[in-house]
Amino acid sequence: MAAEFTDGNFQTEVLDSDVPVLVDFWAPWCGPCRMLAPTVDAIAEEYAGRVKVGKVNTDENPQVSTQHGIQSIPTLMVFKGGRVVDRLVGALPKEKITEKLNAQL
Amino acid sequence: MSPTADPAQKTIDRMNRYVEKYREKSGTSAHPDASVTEGVVLGLAAHVEQLGRPLCPCNFYPDKQAELDESRRWVCACDEMKQFKYCHCLLFVTPEGLPITEYLPEDHEGRQVYGLVRDPTPDKGREARHQVEASFPV
Repeated sequence: MAAEFTDGNFQTEVLDSDVPVLVDFWAPWCGPCRMLAPTVDAIAEEYAGRVKVGKVNTDENPQVSTQHGIQSIPTLMVFKGGRVVDRLVGALPKEKITEKLNAQL
Repeated sequence: MSPTADPAQKTIDRMNRYVEKYREKSGTSAHPDASVTEGVVLGLAAHVEQLGRPLCPCNFYPDKQAELDESRRWVCACDEMKQFKYCHCLLFVTPEGLPITEYLPEDHEGRQVYGLVRDPTPDKGREARHQVEASFPV
């Protein structure tokens, strides 16, 4: 399962992470977010130990969502060394997401 | 009201009727996965109760009220739907469940995510197409 990232733990869990991090910015009533959720969970399992995977509920965590310029959701961001290295928008197929992740490994 | 409080059934019913009517008007379909529509309609209904307008639940707004005060661009049916017939929330889609991207500018994220998706009912919808034509004259 994907982890829960929040305004409170984003710095330690995402920005200070030693491994690349995939973050799914989502909201409870967003249809495409619901479609994407199982894919994100599957990636979390498949990449365990190599990539940290987690979700940010934008309704409950406006600070990090604002800081990262989130507009359309779902938005996926890949962080490496505290920086955003890739950004994807929409309910993408798993292959498109893992392609971006593999480029960071 | 918390951002995730469930709206009243009568508001949900009202939004469902609105969505169904707009699908007919725009020649679009419901997503084959009913939970997609169900979630979005709940979000629209919640925004009607909280803000008085059906603000799109598939965007993040630092301040929802400020967004509405500034413009109606993300009030359903949003400006993108009225101009380009594109619904990134997947509420108004093709029978296969894809958002129509045919009319979007090529550098729009919708084209990058979904590729080219043709409009199966070009005679319907896009009631604000003149706004696009005014911006990008042919």
